[in-house]
Amino acid sequence: MVTHIFRYFFVVILVLSLPQHAFAQDLSELTLEVIDPFIEVRSGPGRGYPVFYVIEQGEKINVIVRRDGWYEIAAENGKNGWVNPSQLSRTLQSTGEPADLPSVSYGDYLANKWRVGFSAGKFVSGDNSDVFAATLSYRFNTWFGLEGEGGRFYNATDRGSYYAANILVEPFSQWQFSPEFLLGSGKRQSSTQPELPKEDDKNLSFIHYGIGLNYYLGRNFVVRTDYRWSAVSEDNDTVTLESWKLGFNTFF
Amino acid sequence: METRFQHVLLTIVVSLFLTNFASAQTPPESNSKVKTEFLEVGVSLGYLAIEGFPTTLSKSVNFTLRATENFFLEVNYLRADDVEESTFAQERDDVPNSLETNQDFTHFDLLLGYNFFQGEFFSGDGEANLSSLYGVWGVGETEFSEERRFTTTLGLGYQVAFNRRYILHFDVRDYIYESSLGDQNDTVHNIDSSVGLSYLF
Repeated sequence: MVTHIFRYFFVVILVLSLPQHAFAQDLSELTLEVIDPFIEVRSGPGRGYPVFYVIEQGEKINVIVRRDGWYEIAAENGKNGWVNPSQLSRTLQSTGEPADLPSVSYGDYLANKWRVGFSAGKFVSGDNSDVFAATLSYRFNTWFGLEGEGGRFYNATDRGSYYAANILVEPFSQWQFSPEFLLGSGKRQSSTQPELPKEDDKNLSFIHYGIGLNYYLGRNFVVRTDYRWSAVSEDNDTVTLESWKLGFNTFF
Repeated sequence: METRFQHVLLTIVVSLFLTNFASAQTPPESNSKVKTEFLEVGVSLGYLAIEGFPTTLSKSVNFTLRATENFFLEVNYLRADDVEESTFAQERDDVPNSLETNQDFTHFDLLLGYNFFQGEFFSGDGEANLSSLYGVWGVGETEFSEERRFTTTLGLGYQVAFNRRYILHFDVRDYIYESSLGDQNDTVHNIDSSVGLSYLF
């Protein structure tokens, strides 16, 4: 009962901490001056859309909104279009976006940001359950973050759910392939599949630790694979389950 | 021992989140943060063809996070209520009890989507609307007839933004899982074809 309250309290805290800027309605437009020789303006937020206009050095543009990693801008003569962030980046310090210079690492994009996503995998020991989980984490700087995780697992005889709180350390976040270390603790609950003879539900605690690899695909997308060891305590005995997962995350 | 560690960890996590929430109230040094449009909320209606059962109306709700111009993440919840018994089962006497009453089919999943072709769609008056063909893959759970199974989802869709905020989706998705409703364990495919509307914040 108390653990249920903790679980919901945890979720509520996470939700309340969502940064306001993601949902803010009216922000004043940002006016910038083009400092590159020219910037290309496309008809949509993607590299597949055609370039229909070019803005020259010295002209002023209003940055209106950001979508799919592209910026919508309005030129002085009223034409609206979409600009690639790397073309705009050297003038964009005041948007909070780090300048797109070679010295800026993937970890810098993640600092002070939330990361959300899901992962799917399998337990390789024990009952070989299929497992998936949703994760929400907050990164305090380029290398340290905290994560809340909730997931479900299934095999032929049992199914169950779990949640965990994890500490994440990513010391080399400037690399495109970067290792991440995880340590956490949680609770899991399992019950038998309904068509089988009913056994008592199990509620167990565990501590898990793992090593993962992050692959940064662009400015806002991370593919993550990890392998972890879960020490589950049951009746004064500890069983270690090993599992791997593949996950996809975005940050905001 | 483990529970004390858990409590300590939970307290650290909660207090760090509360601190972050408090500090977010102070204005940032930079003069503005550009608004980001990245969350979509949508509803869909369609027909779900459950393997071994008659096709039933399906309703779903989804939340999408647009990560990049190519990738997006989606959470999807689908329901098909009152799935009837198939006529084949009605004519036989040896059908297990779980098939004899109308069942609800519910499903949720976490999906990764990829926009294959970005394009523009020209509606009669010369205005260009953004569109793309996309594929989704993901994992989730299906609950039907007292079974709750790990499910893999695979789908193809087409989206058209007919104005800045509203996007129309056409989707065909296959929900694949192992079912033991028949005589043995079978991999069943349940194909849902739907039309949906979503709103981009």
